[in-house]
Amino acid sequence: MTEAGETQFAPPRSLWALYLGFLSIGARSFGGVLPWAHRVLVEERRWIAPGDFAEVLALCQFLPGPNVGNVSVVLGRRWFGARGALAAFAGLIALPLVWVSALAVLYAGYADVPEVRAVVTGVGVAGGGLFVGTALKLAKPIARRPWGLAIAAASFGALGIWRVSLFAVLPVAVALGWAAARRGRL
Amino acid sequence: MLLLRIAFYFALLSLVSVGGIPSVMPEMQRQVVDVNGWMTAAKFTQMFAVAQAAPGPNVLVTALVGWQSGGVAAGAAALSAFCGPAAAIAYWIGGFWDRMRDAPWRRAFQRSLVPVTVGFILAGGYVLATPHGLDWKSVLIAGASAACLYFTRRNPLWMLAGGGVLGYLLF
Repeated sequence: MTEAGETQFAPPRSLWALYLGFLSIGARSFGGVLPWAHRVLVEERRWIAPGDFAEVLALCQFLPGPNVGNVSVVLGRRWFGARGALAAFAGLIALPLVWVSALAVLYAGYADVPEVRAVVTGVGVAGGGLFVGTALKLAKPIARRPWGLAIAAASFGALGIWRVSLFAVLPVAVALGWAAARRGRL
Repeated sequence: MLLLRIAFYFALLSLVSVGGIPSVMPEMQRQVVDVNGWMTAAKFTQMFAVAQAAPGPNVLVTALVGWQSGGVAAGAAALSAFCGPAAAIAYWIGGFWDRMRDAPWRRAFQRSLVPVTVGFILAGGYVLATPHGLDWKSVLIAGASAACLYFTRRNPLWMLAGGGVLGYLLF
């Protein structure tokens, strides 16, 4: 990218263009939607500058709900109001929904075959491993913060090992995190 | 009525899904496997696997879990109930958050959520990776995929494919 700066970035021209842009993110994003969202919105269609995209993403990563789903709502709203939010979100999930439904129906037909079940279970276990890897990446800023590690470990134990309900764990964990952050421990 | 119960539950889940889908997987599994017995833990992990093998946001797993719990209508109800409240929050907060860009509490709040989401996502991975309990096969497959994600920049599809091969050989 050259030095031309933010002027090269312009919002989508129409609601339809917005829908098609998010449709192309959904259609291609095998293995993770975030890199594709960046590629389409920042590099291909040039609707939003990289720094601006990072800001929006930071917000969406800790709002409840699917991260990139939230990005589609926030950006769709910014450009075309409520209609834009709806168009972007619908575009994002339209094709993946068709795909996942077809896969699920296909799998239902073979779910009794032990080999198929073994392969699919293996994929699921590896998918769980991807979450573990993601958590380790996210943990880098708190790696040397005893309070942060203790809160992360306690949250993990409560949800994963002792199977306490998230509705009970979330308020306590957030309150502890807030207390630690306020004392400069995070 | 089952449909209403599923819609209501997923709407509630939507409101606490800080950190996205990974964070709510332990609670979702607890509800549909432990509390209601709508499916086994293995089936839950398999539904997750099917959702992972599709493109797009992993929120689609809610449609599959709903479908497995109560049919196609329940799948549609679960997906829309999970997306609705979160999307509404994103819609209303988006503008407010931009105005608070420089507020000191915003940074403190963001920092305070880091250890929480780390713990939640770790729990999500653990619950999904141990459908048959904590055995060496699951630890091997999940450990290999976690290490690949952490140390390399390969597309995660490779880790999922590797998990399929190892699953075929081991399970």
